[in-house]
Amino acid sequence: MAVPTWSSSLKVLLRADATAQLRTPFSLVLTFALPLILLVATGLGKNSAALGGPEFRISLALTVGLVSIGTVGYSLAIARDRDTGVFQRLRVTPAPTWTIMVSRWIVQLGAVLVMAIVVLVVAAFFVGVTLPAQDYLFTVLVALLGSAVFLSIGQAIVGLIASADTLNAAGRVIYVPLIGLSLFGNTDRLGTTVEMVSRWSPGGCLETLLSAAMGATSWSGQVWGALFASLGYTVVFAVIGIRWFRWVSK
Amino acid sequence: MTPALRVSGLRVAYGSVVAVDGIDLEVREGEIYGLLGPNGAGKTSALSAIEGLLRPSAGDIVIGDVDARAHPLQAKAHLGVQLQTTSFHSSLTLVEIVRLYAGLYGVTLKSAQIRELLGQINLKKEASKRFRELSGGQQQRFSLLIATIHDPELVLLDEPTAGLDPQARRQLWDRIERFRKEGRSILLTTHSMEEAQAVCDRVAIMDHGKILTVGTPAALIAAHRDDPQVRQAAHGEVTLEDVFIALTGRELRD
Repeated sequence: MAVPTWSSSLKVLLRADATAQLRTPFSLVLTFALPLILLVATGLGKNSAALGGPEFRISLALTVGLVSIGTVGYSLAIARDRDTGVFQRLRVTPAPTWTIMVSRWIVQLGAVLVMAIVVLVVAAFFVGVTLPAQDYLFTVLVALLGSAVFLSIGQAIVGLIASADTLNAAGRVIYVPLIGLSLFGNTDRLGTTVEMVSRWSPGGCLETLLSAAMGATSWSGQVWGALFASLGYTVVFAVIGIRWFRWVSK
Repeated sequence: MTPALRVSGLRVAYGSVVAVDGIDLEVREGEIYGLLGPNGAGKTSALSAIEGLLRPSAGDIVIGDVDARAHPLQAKAHLGVQLQTTSFHSSLTLVEIVRLYAGLYGVTLKSAQIRELLGQINLKKEASKRFRELSGGQQQRFSLLIATIHDPELVLLDEPTAGLDPQARRQLWDRIERFRKEGRSILLTTHSMEEAQAVCDRVAIMDHGKILTVGTPAALIAAHRDDPQVRQAAHGEVTLEDVFIALTGRELRD
Protein backbone atom coordinates (compact mmCIF):
# COMPACT_ATOMS: atom_id res chain seq x y z
CA MET A 1 0.00 0.00 0.00
CA ALA A 2 1.55 3.31 -1.11
CA VAL A 3 2.00 6.20 1.30
CA PRO A 4 0.27 9.36 0.02
CA THR A 5 2.56 12.34 -0.59
CA TRP A 6 2.77 15.05 2.09
CA SER A 7 1.30 17.56 -0.37
CA SER A 8 -1.83 15.46 -0.94
CA SER A 9 -2.21 14.99 2.84
CA LEU A 10 -1.83 18.73 3.39
CA LYS A 11 -4.39 19.44 0.68
CA VAL A 12 -7.12 17.28 2.25
CA LEU A 13 -6.31 18.61 5.73
CA LEU A 14 -6.53 22.20 4.48
CA ARG A 15 -9.89 21.55 2.92
CA ALA A 16 -11.24 20.05 6.16
CA ASP A 17 -9.72 22.70 8.44
CA ALA A 18 -10.93 25.58 6.27
CA THR A 19 -14.46 24.12 6.21
CA ALA A 20 -14.38 23.70 9.99
CA GLN A 21 -13.16 27.29 10.44
CA LEU A 22 -15.93 28.69 8.27
CA ARG A 23 -18.57 26.72 10.16
CA THR A 24 -17.49 27.92 13.60
CA PRO A 25 -19.48 31.05 14.56
CA PHE A 26 -17.06 31.90 17.39
CA SER A 27 -14.11 32.09 14.99
CA LEU A 28 -16.11 34.25 12.54
CA VAL A 29 -16.96 36.68 15.36
CA LEU A 30 -13.30 36.87 16.40
CA THR A 31 -12.09 37.21 12.83
CA PHE A 32 -14.54 39.75 11.44
CA ALA A 33 -17.11 41.14 13.87
CA LEU A 34 -14.71 42.26 16.62
CA PRO A 35 -12.26 44.25 14.44
CA LEU A 36 -15.09 45.87 12.45
CA ILE A 37 -17.01 46.86 15.58
CA LEU A 38 -13.84 48.38 16.99
CA LEU A 39 -13.10 50.21 13.74
CA VAL A 40 -16.50 51.87 13.85
CA ALA A 41 -16.72 52.33 17.64
CA THR A 42 -13.37 54.12 17.98
CA GLY A 43 -14.68 56.82 15.66
CA LEU A 44 -17.71 57.54 17.88
CA GLY A 45 -17.75 60.15 20.62
CA LYS A 46 -16.23 63.58 21.03
CA ASN A 47 -12.90 62.44 22.48
CA SER A 48 -12.22 59.61 20.06
CA ALA A 49 -9.53 61.66 18.33
CA ALA A 50 -7.46 61.52 21.54
CA LEU A 51 -6.85 57.79 20.89
CA GLY A 52 -5.22 58.54 17.54
CA GLY A 53 -5.98 59.34 13.90
CA PRO A 54 -7.86 57.18 11.37
CA GLU A 55 -4.74 55.08 10.71
CA PHE A 56 -4.55 54.36 14.41
CA ARG A 57 -8.18 53.17 14.36
CA ILE A 58 -7.39 50.79 11.50
CA SER A 59 -4.21 49.50 13.12
CA LEU A 60 -6.04 49.00 16.42
CA ALA A 61 -8.84 47.07 14.67
CA LEU A 62 -6.30 44.87 12.90
CA THR A 63 -4.28 44.33 16.08
CA VAL A 64 -7.36 43.34 18.09
CA GLY A 65 -8.36 40.95 15.29
CA LEU A 66 -4.90 39.38 15.25
CA VAL A 67 -4.67 39.08 19.04
CA SER A 68 -8.16 37.51 19.15
CA ILE A 69 -7.48 35.03 16.35
CA GLY A 70 -4.06 33.98 17.66
CA THR A 71 -4.31 33.95 21.42
CA VAL A 72 -7.98 33.01 21.84
CA GLY A 73 -9.41 31.44 18.68
CA TYR A 74 -6.43 29.38 17.56
CA SER A 75 -5.22 28.20 20.96
CA LEU A 76 -8.72 27.26 22.12
CA ALA A 77 -9.49 25.32 18.93
CA ILE A 78 -6.21 23.40 19.22
CA ALA A 79 -6.79 22.66 22.92
CA ARG A 80 -10.35 21.42 22.27
CA ASP A 81 -9.27 19.13 19.44
CA ARG A 82 -6.46 17.83 21.63
CA ASP A 83 -8.85 17.17 24.52
CA THR A 84 -11.38 15.32 22.38
CA GLY A 85 -8.81 13.17 20.58
CA VAL A 86 -9.13 14.66 17.08
CA PHE A 87 -5.34 14.93 16.77
CA GLN A 88 -4.73 11.37 17.96
CA ARG A 89 -7.15 10.12 15.29
CA LEU A 90 -5.28 12.08 12.63
CA ARG A 91 -1.90 10.92 13.91
CA VAL A 92 -2.64 7.24 13.26
CA THR A 93 -3.02 7.99 9.53
CA PRO A 94 0.01 8.05 7.21
CA ALA A 95 -0.08 11.88 7.04
CA PRO A 96 3.21 13.35 8.34
CA THR A 97 2.51 14.81 11.78
CA TRP A 98 3.77 18.27 10.85
CA THR A 99 1.11 18.58 8.12
CA ILE A 100 -1.61 18.44 10.80
CA MET A 101 -0.31 21.61 12.49
CA VAL A 102 0.86 23.41 9.35
CA SER A 103 -2.62 23.04 7.88
CA ARG A 104 -4.06 24.82 10.94
CA TRP A 105 -1.50 27.63 10.62
CA ILE A 106 -2.22 28.14 6.91
CA VAL A 107 -5.96 28.35 7.57
CA GLN A 108 -5.35 30.94 10.30
CA LEU A 109 -3.08 32.98 8.01
CA GLY A 110 -5.77 32.81 5.32
CA ALA A 111 -8.36 34.07 7.82
CA VAL A 112 -6.04 36.95 8.77
CA LEU A 113 -5.51 37.84 5.12
CA VAL A 114 -9.26 38.01 4.50
CA MET A 115 -9.81 39.92 7.76
CA ALA A 116 -7.15 42.51 6.85
CA ILE A 117 -8.67 43.03 3.40
CA VAL A 118 -12.20 43.38 4.84
CA VAL A 119 -11.01 45.91 7.47
CA LEU A 120 -9.19 47.96 4.83
CA VAL A 121 -12.20 47.90 2.49
CA VAL A 122 -14.56 48.98 5.30
CA ALA A 123 -12.04 51.68 6.32
CA ALA A 124 -11.97 52.99 2.76
CA PHE A 125 -15.73 53.10 2.32
CA PHE A 126 -17.00 53.93 5.81
CA VAL A 127 -14.09 55.62 7.62
CA GLY A 128 -12.80 57.49 4.59
CA VAL A 129 -9.20 56.25 4.85
CA THR A 130 -7.69 55.35 1.51
CA LEU A 131 -4.06 54.44 1.02
CA PRO A 132 -1.71 54.33 -1.96
CA ALA A 133 -1.63 50.86 -3.56
CA GLN A 134 1.82 49.99 -2.16
CA ASP A 135 0.72 50.91 1.39
CA TYR A 136 -2.18 48.45 1.11
CA LEU A 137 0.35 45.78 0.20
CA PHE A 138 2.63 46.73 3.13
CA THR A 139 -0.32 46.77 5.52
CA VAL A 140 -1.42 43.28 4.50
CA LEU A 141 2.16 41.99 4.77
CA VAL A 142 2.52 43.51 8.25
CA ALA A 143 -0.83 41.94 9.21
CA LEU A 144 0.56 38.55 8.16
CA LEU A 145 3.70 39.16 10.24
CA GLY A 146 1.47 40.16 13.16
CA SER A 147 -0.49 36.98 12.63
CA ALA A 148 2.75 35.00 12.95
CA VAL A 149 3.51 36.82 16.24
CA PHE A 150 0.12 36.09 17.81
CA LEU A 151 -0.19 32.56 16.43
CA SER A 152 3.17 31.80 18.02
CA ILE A 153 1.89 33.27 21.31
CA GLY A 154 -1.21 31.08 20.92
CA GLN A 155 1.05 28.09 20.21
CA ALA A 156 3.08 28.85 23.35
CA ILE A 157 -0.11 29.05 25.42
CA VAL A 158 -1.38 25.72 24.08
CA GLY A 159 2.09 24.23 24.54
CA LEU A 160 2.34 25.23 28.18
CA ILE A 161 -1.28 24.64 29.26
CA ALA A 162 -2.65 21.13 28.91
CA SER A 163 -6.39 21.37 29.43
CA ALA A 164 -8.87 23.30 27.27
CA ASP A 165 -10.75 24.60 30.33
CA THR A 166 -7.62 26.01 31.96
CA LEU A 167 -6.51 27.43 28.65
CA ASN A 168 -9.88 29.12 28.15
CA ALA A 169 -9.47 30.94 31.46
CA ALA A 170 -5.78 31.72 30.94
CA GLY A 171 -6.42 32.93 27.38
CA ARG A 172 -8.86 35.53 28.65
CA VAL A 173 -6.40 36.66 31.33
CA ILE A 174 -3.63 37.07 28.72
CA TYR A 175 -5.97 38.62 26.14
CA VAL A 176 -6.93 41.67 28.24
CA PRO A 177 -3.39 42.98 28.87
CA LEU A 178 -2.37 42.27 25.28
CA ILE A 179 -5.28 44.39 24.02
CA GLY A 180 -4.77 47.02 26.76
CA LEU A 181 -1.10 47.39 25.90
CA SER A 182 -2.01 47.80 22.22
CA LEU A 183 -4.55 50.49 23.11
CA PHE A 184 -2.17 52.72 25.06
CA GLY A 185 0.91 52.40 22.82
CA ASN A 186 0.28 55.83 21.30
CA THR A 187 -0.50 57.76 24.46
CA ASP A 188 1.37 58.62 27.68
CA ARG A 189 -1.84 59.23 29.63
CA LEU A 190 -0.97 56.32 31.95
CA GLY A 191 2.64 57.45 32.36
CA THR A 192 5.80 56.99 30.36
CA THR A 193 6.62 53.57 31.82
CA VAL A 194 3.29 52.13 30.67
CA GLU A 195 3.77 53.83 27.33
CA MET A 196 7.22 52.27 26.87
CA VAL A 197 6.06 48.79 27.91
CA SER A 198 3.06 49.20 25.64
CA ARG A 199 5.16 50.40 22.71
CA TRP A 200 7.45 47.35 22.88
CA SER A 201 4.74 44.81 23.66
CA PRO A 202 3.77 42.46 20.78
CA GLY A 203 0.63 44.54 20.11
CA GLY A 204 2.52 47.84 20.42
CA CYS A 205 5.21 46.72 17.97
CA LEU A 206 2.53 45.62 15.55
CA GLU A 207 0.78 48.97 15.77
CA THR A 208 4.07 50.79 15.14
CA LEU A 209 4.61 48.65 12.05
CA LEU A 210 1.04 49.13 10.82
CA SER A 211 1.25 52.91 11.23
CA ALA A 212 4.43 52.94 9.19
CA ALA A 213 2.96 50.60 6.57
CA MET A 214 -0.05 52.90 6.19
CA GLY A 215 2.21 55.91 5.78
CA ALA A 216 1.09 57.60 9.01
CA THR A 217 4.66 57.58 10.34
CA SER A 218 7.99 57.35 8.56
CA TRP A 219 10.26 54.29 8.64
CA SER A 220 12.42 55.31 11.58
CA GLY A 221 14.76 53.38 13.83
CA GLN A 222 11.81 52.63 16.09
CA VAL A 223 9.94 50.95 13.22
CA TRP A 224 12.94 48.79 12.45
CA GLY A 225 13.16 48.02 16.16
CA ALA A 226 9.50 46.98 16.16
CA LEU A 227 10.14 44.75 13.14
CA PHE A 228 13.05 42.96 14.79
CA ALA A 229 11.18 42.70 18.10
CA SER A 230 8.20 41.13 16.27
CA LEU A 231 10.46 38.60 14.56
CA GLY A 232 12.07 37.89 17.94
CA TYR A 233 8.69 37.39 19.63
CA THR A 234 7.65 35.01 16.84
CA VAL A 235 10.78 32.87 17.13
CA VAL A 236 10.81 32.75 20.95
CA PHE A 237 7.11 31.92 21.37
CA ALA A 238 7.12 29.45 18.47
CA VAL A 239 10.08 27.59 19.98
CA ILE A 240 8.31 27.46 23.37
CA GLY A 241 5.03 26.38 21.76
CA ILE A 242 6.55 23.67 19.61
CA ARG A 243 9.05 22.41 22.22
CA TRP A 244 6.44 21.89 24.93
CA PHE A 245 3.45 20.99 22.76
CA ARG A 246 1.81 17.63 23.53
CA TRP A 247 -0.66 15.91 21.22
CA VAL A 248 -2.65 14.58 24.17
CA SER A 249 -3.90 16.58 27.14
CA LYS A 250 -3.11 13.92 29.78
CA MET B 1 3.45 -17.15 5.62
CA THR B 2 4.41 -13.63 6.82
CA PRO B 3 2.52 -12.73 9.99
CA ALA B 4 0.33 -9.62 9.84
CA LEU B 5 2.08 -8.27 12.94
CA ARG B 6 5.20 -9.30 14.78
CA VAL B 7 6.18 -7.56 18.00
CA SER B 8 9.30 -8.55 19.90
CA GLY B 9 10.80 -7.21 23.11
CA LEU B 10 8.42 -4.23 23.13
CA ARG B 11 9.02 -1.93 26.07
CA VAL B 12 7.13 1.30 26.79
CA ALA B 13 7.99 3.48 29.77
CA TYR B 14 6.61 6.77 31.09
CA GLY B 15 9.58 8.10 32.99
CA SER B 16 10.35 5.52 35.63
CA VAL B 17 7.00 3.72 35.20
CA VAL B 18 7.24 0.75 32.86
CA ALA B 19 3.86 0.22 31.16
CA VAL B 20 4.91 -2.50 28.72
CA ASP B 21 7.78 -4.71 29.81
CA GLY B 22 9.35 -6.51 26.87
CA ILE B 23 6.37 -8.28 25.33
CA ASP B 24 6.39 -10.52 22.25
CA LEU B 25 3.30 -11.18 20.17
CA GLU B 26 2.42 -12.33 16.70
CA VAL B 27 -0.87 -11.88 14.85
CA ARG B 28 -1.22 -14.34 11.99
CA GLU B 29 -2.83 -13.57 8.67
CA GLY B 30 -6.64 -13.74 8.93
CA GLU B 31 -6.51 -14.12 12.70
CA ILE B 32 -8.50 -12.30 15.39
CA TYR B 33 -6.15 -11.85 18.33
CA GLY B 34 -7.41 -10.54 21.67
CA LEU B 35 -5.30 -8.72 24.23
CA LEU B 36 -6.92 -9.08 27.64
CA GLY B 37 -5.94 -7.48 30.89
CA PRO B 38 -7.18 -5.46 33.83
CA ASN B 39 -7.03 -1.65 33.82
CA GLY B 40 -3.43 -0.46 33.75
CA ALA B 41 -2.11 -3.79 32.44
CA GLY B 42 -0.42 -2.05 29.50
CA LYS B 43 -2.81 -3.03 26.68
CA THR B 44 -3.48 0.47 25.38
CA SER B 45 0.20 1.45 25.73
CA ALA B 46 1.19 -1.61 23.68
CA LEU B 47 -1.42 -0.77 21.07
CA SER B 48 -0.38 2.90 21.00
CA ALA B 49 3.22 1.89 20.33
CA ILE B 50 2.11 -0.34 17.44
CA GLU B 51 -0.06 2.51 16.09
CA GLY B 52 2.90 4.87 16.18
CA LEU B 53 1.40 7.17 18.84
CA LEU B 54 4.07 6.29 21.40
CA ARG B 55 7.78 5.85 20.94
CA PRO B 56 8.81 2.56 22.57
CA SER B 57 12.02 2.53 24.55
CA ALA B 58 12.95 -0.87 23.10
CA GLY B 59 11.71 -3.62 20.82
CA ASP B 60 10.75 -4.30 17.21
CA ILE B 61 7.39 -3.87 15.49
CA VAL B 62 6.95 -5.33 12.02
CA ILE B 63 3.63 -4.85 10.22
CA GLY B 64 3.41 -7.23 7.25
CA ASP B 65 6.96 -6.82 6.00
CA VAL B 66 7.36 -3.18 7.05
CA ASP B 67 9.56 -2.24 10.01
CA ALA B 68 7.23 0.20 11.79
CA ARG B 69 9.99 1.92 13.76
CA ALA B 70 12.12 2.57 10.67
CA HIS B 71 9.23 3.42 8.31
CA PRO B 72 6.33 4.66 10.48
CA LEU B 73 4.28 6.28 7.70
CA GLN B 74 4.51 3.21 5.50
CA ALA B 75 3.48 1.05 8.46
CA LYS B 76 0.51 3.32 9.21
CA ALA B 77 -0.67 2.96 5.62
CA HIS B 78 -1.10 -0.79 6.26
CA LEU B 79 -2.98 -0.28 9.53
CA GLY B 80 -6.62 0.42 10.29
CA VAL B 81 -7.06 1.90 13.74
CA GLN B 82 -10.00 2.43 16.03
CA LEU B 83 -8.94 4.25 19.18
CA GLN B 84 -10.57 3.81 22.58
CA THR B 85 -12.08 7.30 22.40
CA THR B 86 -12.52 8.59 18.92
CA SER B 87 -13.44 12.05 17.85
CA PHE B 88 -13.46 13.87 14.55
CA HIS B 89 -13.62 17.54 13.52
CA SER B 90 -16.79 18.63 15.33
CA SER B 91 -18.19 20.81 12.56
CA LEU B 92 -17.69 18.41 9.63
CA THR B 93 -20.46 16.16 8.35
CA LEU B 94 -20.03 12.40 8.07
CA VAL B 95 -19.53 12.71 4.29
CA GLU B 96 -16.79 15.29 4.82
CA ILE B 97 -15.07 13.20 7.48
CA VAL B 98 -15.05 10.14 5.20
CA ARG B 99 -13.62 12.26 2.39
CA LEU B 100 -10.91 13.62 4.71
CA TYR B 101 -9.75 10.24 6.01
CA ALA B 102 -9.99 8.55 2.62
CA GLY B 103 -7.81 11.36 1.27
CA LEU B 104 -5.26 10.90 4.04
CA TYR B 105 -4.87 7.27 2.93
CA GLY B 106 -4.73 8.25 -0.74
CA VAL B 107 -8.20 6.89 -1.54
CA THR B 108 -10.38 9.09 -3.77
CA LEU B 109 -14.11 8.68 -3.25
CA LYS B 110 -16.96 10.47 -4.97
CA SER B 111 -19.94 11.67 -2.94
CA ALA B 112 -22.13 8.84 -4.30
CA GLN B 113 -19.53 6.26 -3.24
CA ILE B 114 -19.32 7.78 0.23
CA ARG B 115 -23.10 7.66 0.60
CA GLU B 116 -23.06 4.04 -0.52
CA LEU B 117 -20.46 3.22 2.14
CA LEU B 118 -22.56 4.99 4.75
CA GLY B 119 -25.56 2.99 3.53
CA GLN B 120 -23.68 -0.24 4.21
CA ILE B 121 -23.53 0.67 7.90
CA ASN B 122 -27.09 2.06 8.01
CA LEU B 123 -25.99 5.68 8.24
CA LYS B 124 -27.11 6.94 4.83
CA LYS B 125 -29.79 9.16 6.38
CA GLU B 126 -27.22 10.60 8.77
CA ALA B 127 -24.80 11.57 5.98
CA SER B 128 -25.22 15.30 6.66
CA LYS B 129 -25.08 14.98 10.44
CA ARG B 130 -22.09 15.72 12.66
CA PHE B 131 -20.32 12.84 14.44
CA ARG B 132 -21.41 14.09 17.88
CA GLU B 133 -25.07 13.88 16.80
CA LEU B 134 -24.86 10.08 16.39
CA SER B 135 -25.76 7.51 19.04
CA GLY B 136 -23.00 5.43 20.67
CA GLY B 137 -23.61 2.46 18.36
CA GLN B 138 -23.71 4.66 15.27
CA GLN B 139 -20.48 6.36 16.32
CA GLN B 140 -18.83 2.98 16.75
CA ARG B 141 -19.99 1.79 13.30
CA PHE B 142 -18.80 5.02 11.73
CA SER B 143 -15.40 4.85 13.47
CA LEU B 144 -14.96 1.32 12.19
CA LEU B 145 -15.81 2.47 8.66
CA ILE B 146 -13.12 5.16 8.92
CA ALA B 147 -10.64 2.61 10.30
CA THR B 148 -11.13 0.37 7.27
CA ILE B 149 -11.70 3.00 4.57
CA HIS B 150 -8.37 2.07 2.90
CA ASP B 151 -8.89 -1.70 3.07
CA PRO B 152 -6.02 -2.38 5.52
CA GLU B 153 -4.47 -5.82 6.09
CA LEU B 154 -4.37 -5.33 9.86
CA VAL B 155 -7.03 -3.64 12.01
CA LEU B 156 -6.34 -2.54 15.60
CA LEU B 157 -9.39 -2.09 17.81
CA ASP B 158 -9.02 -0.67 21.32
CA GLU B 159 -11.99 -1.81 23.42
CA PRO B 160 -14.36 -1.59 20.45
CA THR B 161 -17.51 -2.62 22.30
CA ALA B 162 -17.05 -0.56 25.48
CA GLY B 163 -20.30 1.20 26.36
CA LEU B 164 -22.38 -0.49 23.65
CA ASP B 165 -25.76 -2.14 24.24
CA PRO B 166 -26.05 -5.90 23.47
CA GLN B 167 -27.56 -5.31 20.02
CA ALA B 168 -24.82 -2.93 18.97
CA ARG B 169 -22.20 -5.26 20.44
CA ARG B 170 -23.51 -8.25 18.45
CA GLN B 171 -23.57 -6.14 15.29
CA LEU B 172 -19.97 -5.17 15.86
CA TRP B 173 -18.95 -8.79 16.40
CA ASP B 174 -20.59 -9.62 13.07
CA ARG B 175 -18.58 -6.87 11.39
CA ILE B 176 -15.37 -8.10 12.98
CA GLU B 177 -16.16 -11.61 11.76
CA ARG B 178 -16.79 -10.20 8.27
CA PHE B 179 -13.38 -8.52 8.34
CA ARG B 180 -11.77 -11.85 9.00
CA LYS B 181 -13.68 -13.42 6.09
CA GLU B 182 -12.35 -10.62 3.89
CA GLY B 183 -8.83 -11.77 4.82
CA ARG B 184 -7.94 -9.07 7.34
CA SER B 185 -6.16 -9.70 10.63
CA ILE B 186 -7.44 -8.08 13.81
CA LEU B 187 -5.79 -7.21 17.08
CA LEU B 188 -8.28 -6.06 19.70
CA THR B 189 -8.17 -5.22 23.37
CA THR B 190 -11.14 -5.96 25.56
CA HIS B 191 -12.31 -6.34 29.13
CA SER B 192 -15.10 -8.66 28.06
CA MET B 193 -14.32 -12.36 28.40
CA GLU B 194 -17.57 -13.08 26.59
CA GLU B 195 -16.29 -11.05 23.65
CA ALA B 196 -12.90 -12.73 23.72
CA GLN B 197 -14.50 -16.18 23.68
CA ALA B 198 -17.01 -15.19 21.00
CA VAL B 199 -14.74 -13.60 18.44
CA CYS B 200 -11.04 -14.25 19.15
CA ASP B 201 -9.05 -17.09 17.64
CA ARG B 202 -6.29 -16.57 20.21
CA VAL B 203 -6.01 -14.41 23.28
CA ALA B 204 -3.11 -13.13 25.35
CA ILE B 205 -3.65 -12.29 29.01
CA MET B 206 -1.53 -9.34 30.05
CA ASP B 207 -0.79 -7.80 33.44
CA HIS B 208 1.82 -5.42 34.86
CA GLY B 209 3.19 -4.88 31.35
CA LYS B 210 3.89 -8.56 30.67
CA ILE B 211 2.06 -11.24 28.72
CA LEU B 212 1.20 -14.03 31.16
CA THR B 213 -0.21 -16.59 28.75
CA VAL B 214 -1.29 -16.99 25.11
CA GLY B 215 -3.56 -19.49 23.40
CA THR B 216 -7.01 -20.19 22.05
CA PRO B 217 -9.74 -19.54 24.63
CA ALA B 218 -10.45 -23.28 24.77
CA ALA B 219 -6.76 -24.17 25.13
CA LEU B 220 -6.28 -21.65 27.95
CA ILE B 221 -9.26 -23.04 29.83
CA ALA B 222 -8.01 -26.61 29.33
CA ALA B 223 -4.46 -25.72 30.39
CA HIS B 224 -5.50 -23.96 33.59
CA ARG B 225 -8.62 -25.97 34.46
CA ASP B 226 -6.93 -27.79 37.33
CA ASP B 227 -4.98 -24.88 38.81
CA PRO B 228 -6.09 -24.43 42.44
CA GLN B 229 -6.57 -20.67 41.93
CA VAL B 230 -8.75 -21.28 38.87
CA ARG B 231 -10.84 -23.83 40.77
CA GLN B 232 -11.24 -21.30 43.55
CA ALA B 233 -12.36 -18.58 41.11
CA ALA B 234 -14.79 -20.84 39.24
CA HIS B 235 -18.50 -21.04 40.01
CA GLY B 236 -19.27 -24.34 38.26
CA GLU B 237 -17.89 -24.84 34.74
CA VAL B 238 -14.46 -23.18 34.33
CA THR B 239 -14.63 -20.16 32.02
CA LEU B 240 -12.04 -17.85 30.45
CA GLU B 241 -12.96 -15.28 33.09
CA ASP B 242 -12.00 -17.73 35.85
CA VAL B 243 -8.61 -18.23 34.21
CA PHE B 244 -8.25 -14.44 33.84
CA ILE B 245 -9.12 -13.78 37.50
CA ALA B 246 -6.81 -16.55 38.69
CA LEU B 247 -3.89 -15.16 36.66
CA THR B 248 -4.39 -11.44 37.34
CA GLY B 249 -5.81 -11.50 40.87
CA ARG B 250 -9.00 -10.27 42.48
CA GLU B 251 -7.90 -6.86 43.69
CA LEU B 252 -9.51 -3.82 42.07
CA ARG B 253 -7.49 -1.79 39.56
CA ASP B 254 -7.81 1.89 38.62
